[in-house]
Amino acid sequence: MPDYDAIVVGAGNAGSAAAITMANKGLNVLLVDRSDPPGTKNLSGGVLWGNDLAKILPKWQSEAPLERFIQNKKIGFLTEKSSVVIDFKTKIFEENKVGYTVLRSKFDPWLAKKAKEAGATVIPGITVESLAKKDGKIVGVEESGDTITSNVVILAEGINPRLSIEAGLRAPLQDWEVSVGVKEIIKLSPQKIEDRFNLTSSSGTASEYIMGNLEELNIGAFLYTNKDSISLGIVAPMERLRENGVTHTYDIIEQFKEHPSIAPLIDGGTVAEYGAHMIPEGGLAMVPKLYGDGYLIVGDAAGFGFSNGLVLQGMNYAFLSGILAGEAAAEAKGRGDFSSSSLSVYKQKLENSYVLKDLKTFKDIRKVTNNTNMYTTYPKMLESILLEMLWERGQPKKKIRDILSSCAADLNMSKLKTATDFYYIYRRM
Amino acid sequence: MILDIKERLGKTKYDVDKTYAHITVDENICEKCPHHFCVMACPAQCYTLQDGRLSFQYEDCVECGTCSVACDQGSVKWHYPKAGKGVIYKFG
Repeated sequence: MPDYDAIVVGAGNAGSAAAITMANKGLNVLLVDRSDPPGTKNLSGGVLWGNDLAKILPKWQSEAPLERFIQNKKIGFLTEKSSVVIDFKTKIFEENKVGYTVLRSKFDPWLAKKAKEAGATVIPGITVESLAKKDGKIVGVEESGDTITSNVVILAEGINPRLSIEAGLRAPLQDWEVSVGVKEIIKLSPQKIEDRFNLTSSSGTASEYIMGNLEELNIGAFLYTNKDSISLGIVAPMERLRENGVTHTYDIIEQFKEHPSIAPLIDGGTVAEYGAHMIPEGGLAMVPKLYGDGYLIVGDAAGFGFSNGLVLQGMNYAFLSGILAGEAAAEAKGRGDFSSSSLSVYKQKLENSYVLKDLKTFKDIRKVTNNTNMYTTYPKMLESILLEMLWERGQPKKKIRDILSSCAADLNMSKLKTATDFYYIYRRM
Repeated sequence: MILDIKERLGKTKYDVDKTYAHITVDENICEKCPHHFCVMACPAQCYTLQDGRLSFQYEDCVECGTCSVACDQGSVKWHYPKAGKGVIYKFG
C-alpha cells in the first residue's frame, strides 16, 4: 500500500491546481515544494488569466492576493529613439476582471494554502532528490535517503525539470526550446503608478514590447503594474543569445529600462528584487511524453506556454494542465489502475482543451517569432513611416507608397522578403 | 536607476548553503571550451572569465537553469539546492 494516492512535486500553479483537484475528489495527496514558504522560488512576468483557476477556486478574485486587474493591454515597438504603442483599453476587461497582475511569492503560498484547506498534505522545504522507480514504473520520490511512495507522481517541477531529465522522462532542454526571462521589481508609490499609467486604485496595465533597438537578439520586453511596484523584464531567446555571443542577459534589461519611452515610467523608483526564469518557447515540438506508468507531467515542466512575440502566457496553461492531470489521476484511482494506458486519459483531456489545441494551432509560430526582421526591420520601418507622416520638416510630402518603398530600400528589404514575412504572419500567427 | 548587476543581486534574498554547491563545473572541460557562452547567458553573473579562465560561484544563483542549457560541453552539472536553501523571492 503506497503512502499516498498522489505526490505532487512543485507548488507552482500547475502543482497546486493538481493537488486541489485531487484533494477535492477525495484522493490522499502530498504536495511538496523545495522552498519554504511554498512557491517562493517561483517567478513569472506576472499577468494571470484566471478562467481555469475559477474552476477550482470560484472565489479567487476576492480571496487571492492579487495586485491590479488588467484594464488595458499595450503592444509596443521600440527603436533606439522611438516607440509605437497600441493601447487597447476596453470596458469588457473591467466588467469581466479575469486578468490580474500577481506577485508569485504572495500568490503561490496562498494557492498552496488552498491545497492544504482542500485536504492535501503540504510540506514545503523538501527537495526531492530523485524519483523512485520499480520495474520501470515511477512509484514515489526519494528525499534524504527516504522513499515516499504513491500510486502516481505529478511532476510540476517547472521549466528546469531536473527530476524528469534525470529519470529519462524528457530530454535535456535545447536552445530552441527556451528563452531567458530576466525581471526586476521596481518600487513606486501607488499614487505615481496611478498617475503615470492613468489607473484607478484597483486597475492596472500590462504592456509587451518588441525591442527593435537590439540588433537580431529578438528581445521581447514587458512592463506590468502592481499595487506599489512595477514588474519589468526582458525575454531573450537562447538561440539568438548564443548566435550573438557578446551580450550579457543582465545588461539587456537595463537597456530596456533606459529606453526614452520606458525610463520616465519608472523614474524615481527603486529596485526591490532581481530575478530570472526560463520560459518555454518550443511549442508543441518541445512537449515530452506527458504520462507513463505512475507519472504525469504538467505546466512548464511539460513545456506548456504560448508565445507569439506579442503575447506571452503560461500560468493559465499551468492551471488547466494541473486540473486535467488531477482529474486523470482521480479517474485512474476509480479504476484502481495507474498504468500508462490508464493515465493516458490526461493526454486526451489536454487534446480536448485549449492547452494542446493552442500548441497545435500555433505549431509553426517560431517561423514568425524567430524571424529577426520582426525585431529589427519592421519596428524601424514603422518608425520611418510615422516620422514621414507625422513630422513636419519643411520638405515636400510623400505618398505612403513612396514612403514605403524608400524605407524598404533604406532597410535593404525587397518586396518579396516583406511579402513572404507577412504571408508567414498571416498563416501562422 | 541603472544598477550594476552585483548591486541588483544584492536586492534579492538568499539562504546560501555554505556546505553544498548545487551546480558544479568541470574545470578541465571549461578550459577547452571554445565559447564560454555561460558568461553571457547567466543572468546572475555566476560565470566570469578571469585572465581567460572560467571562474564560477553558485552563491548568487537564482536557480533559473539557464546555464544547464547554455553549456553544450557537458561541464555544468545542475542539481536542486538542499531543502529551503538558495534564492527566496520576496515578490517573484
